[in-house]
Amino acid sequence: MSTLQERRNLRELTAVFPDSSPQQARLAERASWPDVIARNALPIGTTLSLVWLATICLVFLNRYVPLDFVPLLYMLPVVFAATRWGVIPGIVAAIAGAAAADFFFYQPLYTFWLNNPEDVVHLALFLFVGIVTSNLAARLKNEANTLRRREKEIRELHTFSSGLATCLTSRDLIFAVQDYISDTLGCSAALIASAEDAYDADATALPAEIRLEALRLVRSGARDAAVAHEQRTGRSWLVRTIVPEILGYSAIAVELGERDSESTTAVARRVAALLDEAITTLKHLKVKESIEQATIDYRTEILRDALIGGVSHELRTPLASILGTCSVLGQMPAVSGDSQVCDLVEAIQDQAGHLDDEIRLLLDATRITANGVKPQKVWTDPTDIVAGAVKQKKRALAEHRLVLDLLPEPPLVYIDPVLTEQALGQLLENAAKYSPAGTSIKVSTSCANDCLEFSVTDRGSGLTPDEIRKLGTRCFRSPRHAIAASGSGLGLWIASAFIAANGGTLHAASEGPRLGSTISLRLPVTSKDSPQLLEAADG
Amino acid sequence: MAKVLVIDDEPQIRRFLRAGFELYEYTVLEAENAALGLRAATIEKPDLIILDLNLPDLEGSEVLERVRSWSNVPVIVLSIQADEHEKVRLLKLGADDYVVKPFGISELLARSEAAMRRHLRSSNREPVVRAGDLAIDLVSRVVTLKGNRVQLTRKEFALLNVLATHAGLVLTHQQLIDEIWGSRAGNIQYLRILVRKLRQKVEIDPTRPTLIVSESGVGYRLDTGSSGSAHARQDISSDTTFAV
Repeated sequence: MSTLQERRNLRELTAVFPDSSPQQARLAERASWPDVIARNALPIGTTLSLVWLATICLVFLNRYVPLDFVPLLYMLPVVFAATRWGVIPGIVAAIAGAAAADFFFYQPLYTFWLNNPEDVVHLALFLFVGIVTSNLAARLKNEANTLRRREKEIRELHTFSSGLATCLTSRDLIFAVQDYISDTLGCSAALIASAEDAYDADATALPAEIRLEALRLVRSGARDAAVAHEQRTGRSWLVRTIVPEILGYSAIAVELGERDSESTTAVARRVAALLDEAITTLKHLKVKESIEQATIDYRTEILRDALIGGVSHELRTPLASILGTCSVLGQMPAVSGDSQVCDLVEAIQDQAGHLDDEIRLLLDATRITANGVKPQKVWTDPTDIVAGAVKQKKRALAEHRLVLDLLPEPPLVYIDPVLTEQALGQLLENAAKYSPAGTSIKVSTSCANDCLEFSVTDRGSGLTPDEIRKLGTRCFRSPRHAIAASGSGLGLWIASAFIAANGGTLHAASEGPRLGSTISLRLPVTSKDSPQLLEAADG
Repeated sequence: MAKVLVIDDEPQIRRFLRAGFELYEYTVLEAENAALGLRAATIEKPDLIILDLNLPDLEGSEVLERVRSWSNVPVIVLSIQADEHEKVRLLKLGADDYVVKPFGISELLARSEAAMRRHLRSSNREPVVRAGDLAIDLVSRVVTLKGNRVQLTRKEFALLNVLATHAGLVLTHQQLIDEIWGSRAGNIQYLRILVRKLRQKVEIDPTRPTLIVSESGVGYRLDTGSSGSAHARQDISSDTTFAV
C-alpha cells in the first residue's frame, strides 16, 4: 500500500474516531427518553427561558406596534437552541414558540384555542419550519464540529508526520509513535519488546499480565488486535502485534479505559494505521541509514586507498632510493675494495630491505581487512611456486642450508600463483627467523587425497600445542620470541588468508619446543595431467 | 657508448640511476616529466629508455604508447606497484621489460642489456643465444647443453626459440601461447606442461629451474645470468624484485 493511501486511510479513520458526536447521537437514539431528557435538561430549560424571554419582548412590543410576524420571531430561539445544543432543544424551542404564539398573540387570546383556520395554518407551518430548521441547524453544528475535529486531528497528524520526518534514528521513531498514541488517544500506550530480558518502552505503565498476553499473541503469530483485561483492576488494554517488528518491539498495548466495543474497534484501526505509518517511516529511515552507511563506506574506501597509495608511494619511494643507492655504492671500486665500508653498506641495505618487507606486510594486511583477497586463479606448476618463493626469500635464507624435496612431476593446480608464492615465502621467512643460522630448512611437495601440500620443515625453536592452536591468528606472537626476534605477527595470518582465498588450508606440526616444526599449505587438486593433455600440449 | 634516457620525477631515483649507469660507462640523460622525456626521446635518440610509471603530467603507459608509435627503442618500465595485470598490459603495450621498486642496479643493468641485445639482435641477426651452459642456434635450430646436443620436439623448440629470441626478457603467457599454438588452440595448461618437458631436457635440476624462470602471474623468461657483464656481484636486494 502506498504511503499516500495509508495517509488517506488514516484521515478517514480519524473522522470516525470515538470522540465524534455522530456516535454519541446514535448512542442517544438507542438510549431511553427519560435518559435523553435528563441529559438535555439544562439545554431544554435554557431554551424554554429563551422562548419566555422572546415572548416578553413580543408582548411588550405588541402594546405599541401591532405585530403580524410573531411566529417568525420565535425562529430565533429555535435556531439558537438547535445550533447551540442540538436537535432536541431546537424542537422543544419550536413547540414552545408555537404554543406561546397561540396563547399570547392569536385570537382568542390567553387560550390555546384558534378561531381562524388561517392561524392554524400559520402555526402549523411555523412548527414544521421550526422542526426542519432545528434539524438542519443541528446537522450544521455537527458538521462544523466534525470539521473542527478533523482540522485538529490533521494538525496533530501533521505534527506526528513532522515528528517522524525529524526522527534521525529508528529509536526516535519508537518514542514518537508512543508519544503520539498517548497524546492523541488520551490513553497510555506501551511498546513491548520481544526479547524476554529487554526493557519495554514505557514499561512502567504496563502490567506484567498484559505483557505476557502480548508476548503470547506474538508467539501465536496473531495479526489482529485483541483486548486483554487486568484481573486486579479490571482495566482493559488493546494489544496488537507489530509485523515486522520495529527495533525489537513486536507488540503495542494501549489502555482503553471506559470505551465501549465500537470505540475499541476504532482505536484498534487507528493504532493499526499509525503503526503502518511508522513502519513506512522506518523503511525510509532504513533506506536513509543504508545510504548514509554506503556513503561512509565509500569515503572510508577512498581514504583507505589514499592511505595505501600514500604509504606505498611516500614510504616505499625513499626506501627504493636507499636500496638502489646502496646497490650502486656496493659496486663502486672505492667501496667494494674496503670490506668495512662494504659491510656498512650491506647493513643499510639489510635494514632498508627489512623495513620495506614490514611495510609490504602492513599493506597486505590492510588489503585483506578491507576487501578480502580476490584470487586470480590460473593453472600453475607447483615447481614454479617453490622456485619463486625461494628466489623471493633468498636474502632471508642466506645463512641456512636449503633442502628441496620436490615431486618431479606434480599435478598442475588451479590457484593464484602470486598469492601462493607469497604465502610459501612467508613460511620460509618464518622458518629462517626462528631457526639458528647454519641449520637446514627443507621445502617439500607431496600429493595425497586430491590435495597438494607444500611443507616447510625447520630445526628451529618448534611450537607448543598452544602456539599451534593460535598460529595464523592476526598479530599472534609467542611470548617465547617476543624479545629474541622482531616481527608484527602478521606474516602467518597473511599466509593463511592468501591460502584460504585459494581454497586451501594452513597446518602446523611440531614435536615440541626446540624440536623444530613443519608448516604446510594444503591446496585442492581439481585435475590430473592426463596423457591426452600431454599429447595436446606437445602434439 | 650507449645512451640511456631516465624519465622519472623522483630526483633521488634519477641520481642513483645516473651513478649506476655511469659506473658502467653509459651516457645518462634525465627527464623529470613526460613532456621533457618525450622531447629528449625524439631529439637525443637514446639507445634505451628507463620509464617510471607515475609521472606528474602523463601516465607512464601513455608515454610508452607514444614512444612506440614512432620508435622501436628498448623501454624498461619502473613501478612501485606490482600488479600482475598491469605488468602484462605494459608488456602488451610494447615495454621490453619491467622492474618493480625497490630494485638493485645489477637487476636493472641486466634487464637493460638484455633489452638492448634483443634490439641489436633483431637488426644484426646474431644466430646463437647463450644462457648458462645452454646454447641455442636460432638459424641451424641446434640446441646444446654443455656441448652435448639436445633433442627437442617441434613445440619444445618453438618455445625455446621464442624465449631465446627475447633472451633475458619476460614474455607473457599469452605471447608464448600465441607464438606456439596460436591464440585459439593453446591454453595455459599446455604451456605449463610444455615448459616442464623443456626444463627436463635443458635444466640441470628441473625441480630447481635456473634457465627458464617463471614470473608469477606474468610469464616466463630465459635467464641468461647477466652473461658477460662487468656487474658480476648480485645485489642483495635483487630478491625483492618480483615480490608483490
